[in-house]
Amino acid sequence: MGDGVDPLNMFFKRDIGQVSKPGRYLGIEVNARRKPLSASGANCVLVYPDVYEIGMSHLGLAILYEEINDRQDSMADRAYLPWVDMQELMERKGIPLFGLESRVPLGLFDLVGITLQHELTYANVLRILSLAGIPLRSAERRDSDPLVVGGGPGAYNPEPVADFFDFLLLGEGEEVIHEILDAVREWKQAGKKDRGGFLRRCASIPGVYVPSLYRVHYRADGTVSGIEPLEGAPMPVRKRVVADLDQKVKPRRPPVPLVESVHDRCSLEIFRGCTRGCRFCQAGMVYRPVRERSEDLLHGWGRELVSATGCDELSLSSLSSADYTRIIPLAERLSRDLERKGVAVSLPSLRTDSFSVELASRVGRIRKTGLTLAPEVASPRLRAVINKELSDRDLLEAVGAAYREGWRKMKLYFMVGLPGEEEGDVEAICGLVRRIMREGDGGGPPRGLRLSVSVSTFVPKPHTPFQWARQISLPETARRHFILKEGLRIKGVTWKWHTREMSYLEGVLARGDRRLGPVVEAAAREGCLDNWSEFFSWDRWRRALERYGLDPAWYVERERGEEEIFPWEHLSAGVKRSFLWEEYLKALRGEPTPDCRYADCMDCGACDGKEIVNRLAGGGR
Amino acid sequence: MVKYYKKGDAAFLSHRETMRVLERALRRSGADLVFTSGFHPRVKMSFSPALPLGVAAEAEYLEAAVEGEPDLEEMIKRMNDALPEGMGVTSLQVMPGYMPKLSRWARYGLYRVEGGNGTLHLCMRLDGEGGGRLRDALQLLKERWGVEAEAVTRVGIYASRDEILEENPGKVYFYHAGKGELEEMEGSGAG
Repeated sequence: MGDGVDPLNMFFKRDIGQVSKPGRYLGIEVNARRKPLSASGANCVLVYPDVYEIGMSHLGLAILYEEINDRQDSMADRAYLPWVDMQELMERKGIPLFGLESRVPLGLFDLVGITLQHELTYANVLRILSLAGIPLRSAERRDSDPLVVGGGPGAYNPEPVADFFDFLLLGEGEEVIHEILDAVREWKQAGKKDRGGFLRRCASIPGVYVPSLYRVHYRADGTVSGIEPLEGAPMPVRKRVVADLDQKVKPRRPPVPLVESVHDRCSLEIFRGCTRGCRFCQAGMVYRPVRERSEDLLHGWGRELVSATGCDELSLSSLSSADYTRIIPLAERLSRDLERKGVAVSLPSLRTDSFSVELASRVGRIRKTGLTLAPEVASPRLRAVINKELSDRDLLEAVGAAYREGWRKMKLYFMVGLPGEEEGDVEAICGLVRRIMREGDGGGPPRGLRLSVSVSTFVPKPHTPFQWARQISLPETARRHFILKEGLRIKGVTWKWHTREMSYLEGVLARGDRRLGPVVEAAAREGCLDNWSEFFSWDRWRRALERYGLDPAWYVERERGEEEIFPWEHLSAGVKRSFLWEEYLKALRGEPTPDCRYADCMDCGACDGKEIVNRLAGGGR
Repeated sequence: MVKYYKKGDAAFLSHRETMRVLERALRRSGADLVFTSGFHPRVKMSFSPALPLGVAAEAEYLEAAVEGEPDLEEMIKRMNDALPEGMGVTSLQVMPGYMPKLSRWARYGLYRVEGGNGTLHLCMRLDGEGGGRLRDALQLLKERWGVEAEAVTRVGIYASRDEILEENPGKVYFYHAGKGELEEMEGSGAG
């Protein structure tokens, strides 16, 4: 394609060779649908607000891409944030951001769908809109401008960027997208008039959140005093959930990245949701309940994905793949079938126990590099706080099993800054690592083992038990890092930490409110790519916060009271506030909450007791 | 041995990206491929020398090890369905073991340089000491004769100069990287 838009054609002929990895901008991927824009149906462009290599690995957009393109009346193109050299070149040449496949500027689509996967991509969202020449604020857009629509986990508190979206979708998109497309088509056929009226109609679709239909009231101290729905907008907006995932089997033919991407493999999504109940984990709260797909379906689908893409690795993906009730038969069947075709089966998210390690080595070939385990914390007290059932023994056994299976490089993930954490808990990380290096091989030292320890700073997230908790300050984080730096000077051990200021900014935005909108806008004007450390600048953000009289510490370091009205109070992820508060209190007391897959219902609110319930492929609850 | 072309937008795929695309197409071709061992088994294959970014190609080669007797027609069809626009397989050949390997015979590259004032052919060595960089050759063309290359295509890969002359009767300039010189290839242009 690429015809009809002359300056772009010239750009591709003359200029594209000047940028790094032009393969990212060609849009000629195998399995790309390359549907033409339609005069009557909804033309969509799905945007991942980071570079191609990250965006192409994202499963959610691949699902929506296929849902939309499988419809006769609609089409979906794709776009990513161009790398800085391409951004500069496009601006210099006056080329607006375009859909990769159609090479049509974003501003000419009916719907621009942007996924919010991480707070540090919020400035990128604005950069994308400005590269596309689309008015940044929903209020400034005219009838002919595209609808800017958000989704992904960030939609559970999109308030810092709420002003820039016409609406957002809460929860799983594969059903609600069709209701949206129908509405857009109807509106388009009626001549795209009265954008406000159209948005009000959208607000009546379950799962659709139209920010302009909610007025937020603040107290003098900056806390929210109330959120007022306007013109009959629903209160709260509830997330969408697909009850039976065996009925929704996509993607079947995903576009294959031309340029190597971060997860260069095919994903087979084996289930959604997790009820282990780790109290820090937003995914574990908002994606409930657990819905497993059936083993036979996955077996056939996995083989189909391999033959439709030519990929060399099939990843059995979910929040905790070893928890799938039929994991051993599924993994064994797939690896037996695919081994002969030179395709490896992998498990990306493993529990920290020897069952998982043995499972990982049973499927396919043994990968002797890069086994990742996430103990998160090292002291029994903190394990009780976060509700992660794990003992030193479990971890040592997992490491021992991996070592015996031949792994010589392992990675351990830890967090610092959890509620109730003391410096002794941080020292416990060093102690545990030392113990692994001393007795990781069944009581003896694991010779030749190289351990990489990765430490992140805990950021409290909305819709989790820790949404009330305080995040540690920058100096407190530095102190913890110092303890680790001293304590992890162990032969064979290296450690990495998340940039403190990045976690701090993440903390500001994660629980932020609408007053941050102008701050994000100002920061984005001066730069983007905040999750790329070479472009991240806390100074840029600090100045922007200062300009609008906002104190980052107020957002980050303040413990909220039981009665506090959150900026996301009008948005429901299913799990009830009262359940989360109980969980917070239990965390502070160090009490456990069992997994409802195997114990009684905790009445968290995620299920409806009829259709939307835990569904396990292996039977049982 | 697979003979393929790469033109249009696909010319902007790097060597590495081209290899990935072709490996995936081979995996989908239905042929019984031979793999390397290890966690990430690779298809055993080798490629003709890398093309600079932006240079199209009419006849590139790749060799892959297969077992048994593949259905070549079916393989071509399936590979073409699995390649991005601008790339395609033109022919497939089963090479007997005694034939020289690609890396042994791929010595010369012939390029068509199209500019504002016409087209010329440029030849250079692809291997060893005589192998220069296409970019230097184009720079020299510009300096010496004011030829501004707008489109560059590698027409083919050859084992000897004679082979080039046999197939391309027009005038051919040879870029001598060691001397940094362009010279008319002896015997070219005769036809």
